[in-house]
Amino acid sequence: MSLLYPLGLLILIGIPILIIIYIIKNKYTEQIISSTYIWTLSEKFLKRRNPINKLVGLISLILQILAVLFIAIAVAHPVFAVPNSAYEYCFVLDGSGSMNIVQSGKTRLDIGKEKIASVINGAMGGCSYTLVYVGTTTEIVFEKTEDKERALKQLDEIEPSYLDTGMTPALGVAQQYFTQTPSVKTYLVTDKSYVIHNNVDIINVSSNAENYALSEVEYRTSNGTITVTGKATSYESDVKLNIALYFGDSAEAAAAVEVDAVKLEPADFEITADTDGFEYFRVVITNGDALALDNEVIVYSPEIENSYKALIVSDNPLYLYAALSQRASLQTEIMSPKDYGPSVKGYNLYIFDTLDSVEMPRDGAVWILKPSANLSDGGFTVQGEITPATGVKLNYENSSSSVIAMLSKDLVKEDIYVAKYVKCGLRRRFTTFLSYDGNPMLFAGTNSYGNREVVFAFDLHDSNLPVLWDYNPLIGNLLNYTFPNVIDETTFVCGDSVYLNIAANCDSIRVDSPLEKVSYLNTGSETAEIVLTEVGVYTITLTSGNAERKVFLYSALPESERRITAEEESFSLKGIPDEAMKTGTYDDLLAWFIVLAVLVAADWMVYCYEQYQLR
Amino acid sequence: MSNFVINEEFLQQVELLQMLIKNNVAGLFGGNHQSKSYGSSCEFSDYRDYMAGDDITKIDWNAYARFEKLYLKLYADERQMHTRIYIDASRSMAYGRGKKHEQALRIAAALAYLSINEMDKVSIYAVRDNNIEEVITGLLGKDEYTTQISKLNDVVFDGDSRLSDAILPSTVGYGDGMSVIISDFLTDNNFEDAIDYLTSKKRDILCVQILSKEELNPQVRGKMHFYDSESNSKFYRRNINKDIIKAYKMALEYVTGRIRDFCAARGADYMLVPSEESVYKVFFDKLVSMGVLK
Repeated sequence: MSLLYPLGLLILIGIPILIIIYIIKNKYTEQIISSTYIWTLSEKFLKRRNPINKLVGLISLILQILAVLFIAIAVAHPVFAVPNSAYEYCFVLDGSGSMNIVQSGKTRLDIGKEKIASVINGAMGGCSYTLVYVGTTTEIVFEKTEDKERALKQLDEIEPSYLDTGMTPALGVAQQYFTQTPSVKTYLVTDKSYVIHNNVDIINVSSNAENYALSEVEYRTSNGTITVTGKATSYESDVKLNIALYFGDSAEAAAAVEVDAVKLEPADFEITADTDGFEYFRVVITNGDALALDNEVIVYSPEIENSYKALIVSDNPLYLYAALSQRASLQTEIMSPKDYGPSVKGYNLYIFDTLDSVEMPRDGAVWILKPSANLSDGGFTVQGEITPATGVKLNYENSSSSVIAMLSKDLVKEDIYVAKYVKCGLRRRFTTFLSYDGNPMLFAGTNSYGNREVVFAFDLHDSNLPVLWDYNPLIGNLLNYTFPNVIDETTFVCGDSVYLNIAANCDSIRVDSPLEKVSYLNTGSETAEIVLTEVGVYTITLTSGNAERKVFLYSALPESERRITAEEESFSLKGIPDEAMKTGTYDDLLAWFIVLAVLVAADWMVYCYEQYQLR
Repeated sequence: MSNFVINEEFLQQVELLQMLIKNNVAGLFGGNHQSKSYGSSCEFSDYRDYMAGDDITKIDWNAYARFEKLYLKLYADERQMHTRIYIDASRSMAYGRGKKHEQALRIAAALAYLSINEMDKVSIYAVRDNNIEEVITGLLGKDEYTTQISKLNDVVFDGDSRLSDAILPSTVGYGDGMSVIISDFLTDNNFEDAIDYLTSKKRDILCVQILSKEELNPQVRGKMHFYDSESNSKFYRRNINKDIIKAYKMALEYVTGRIRDFCAARGADYMLVPSEESVYKVFFDKLVSMGVLK
């Protein structure tokens, strides 16, 4: 036996102090009386000479001495060594999405944590614990620690994951421990069944429960109606599932489908409702089940954008205005060039049509048509106007870049001819979409202020472009380039990587996860990546100056994690287990405290008995 | 030594009482107590035949006229009683808050006055160790009482008292009155021989046991170390609790009962008097109800 805090024995000083106090306190009161005759005679009349009566005072002292003794021992914290009694434990905790299934009010992960905690609490001192958590990534939460409290605290802090994380890395870690120490007891805490699990004890936390799920939810809109389609699955039993379509908090339409669980084949559903546009809709299975995470899909419209203001600075804006004015999200104004000056601000897009010189605005994107002079901060030079003898045909750029793909979307690429054009030299990296004889005729990039810039090297009036079918789609593509969508779609699966398009003047991007974790993305590049690790709605807030723009996306539970019960093939450790055990320690203070409590209680009983006797 | 106080009004009331003597009073002098023998008092007692030599003045000539035979008229004889009061003058009588000695002196003084009032002779003795100290001897008449009774204040209560050793060698008289023993009787010493001896001397005996309130109903609790006032070698050390108090009361009952029974077996009277009890109650209630006074 050893003492963890030997200084605790200093409390034993209390024993002689107690004895001194007892002697002082227990002094008999001396008194002279007329005669002791009757008192002495009364001894013969004491009915029962209980020997405890003589010891009552001493019993109280003895109990108090023992109490002090036990307090000292308890504080000194004795530790008893017990040979061959302690194990080395390695826990592998499955934290995949299916562990979020609720059973009896607790998630499987919580049940698994409780199982591990019970093993740790029941283990003898001297045991060591390692926990490998298979969550978003495979991580070693604590390694070979003998500190139970620390292990339990860190175990408690583990948060659920929603991914379909493979067990292979965890198996590798467990194998490494097993190879190093063949006596290690390895537990796999999971909701999956493993056919082969040599040298591993499986703690299965699954139980049969209903689970329904939605998948492949899509929509299409037409003439004021929305049609939502998708698949519904039941993993345990045949059931009739009720599926509702919500705009906001009210159900707009519903459908019911019969699902065959035995075949595990999803049933198709289709819901149609009237809508004149939406920000988002929810599709919900209203039947309750054990895993609510996969019962709902939220779809945000990528077309929802803030409204933009465009300013055409031109004396003859006929073609441009005709193309832009039909854009619902664009509010277009026209201004004469002589009225334009540096004081004009507040537009998202400035379009300068055949101007001699202009100061580049700082607060919005810029389109420039047939620049006739060098523009400061424009990123290109004007080398003079060229008037060919006949109209020249422009060439489309055929590269595979994303910008070209965006600009080419929905175009039939008709022949475009121009009668006059300006020869431009590019000083900055622009993407040339149309060119003639090596001269860029329509190019796009960013100016010195980071705003997007589109340059036509010709006047629309000098080309046949406005009368072509491609005109409107091309203007639309240019607007999409100028005001890029942050994301192209809004529904993902947990574990997916989402790439955000970042405007050049974007100051910050804040991401609020479903579990209310906040993170900020780097705005230094044109795209930023988010790895979805939680299930639910992510809120992305993009800030440009004082302007704030919010984008929502929905992260769904992976389909592979929706199964209530799943069977995996193997989680086995190679090698021959060893029965050698470590020297354990027994340092439970509970017994000491129980004895202490009994002694104190007994002391009180003796005291009460004394008082009763003296009353 | 504190002075005892006898109320004059009380003494006037005591005068109404009279001692009842069970035994034949065989005093030398005439007095107020009727004797079994015939004497010369005024109270007619009986007739007997005339015998030669009898006083012819006592012949009842009326009876001679009727029966023609000489009868002599006999008159009752009345004798003087000698009351002897023994006061236990040990230290236990005076120690503590009980003031048993004051009660003892009050009772002794009152009894003495009662005897004086009946023309009896009174002697008061203090018993200390194995000696008898004569405090007042042959007190007779109220004038003498008035001058002598204050001697009771000179009684010193100290040491031990062995009643038998003290009384047996002393002169106790024979059939001439009452012997009163006033003590707390809290002793191992023999007092029974004294009572037997006085009984054999045809004395009426009254034992008055005086106990203080603390002795009759002790209130002490807790760890106590009692020293005996009469002897340093006697002590009692105990954690006084409910059981011990119960045993004490049983012991007290045993002690008083033993004296009472012993006295009853010898025709003696016994009276337990708390030290705080009024003398009036002792005389007009207890002694009257016991038949010692009337």
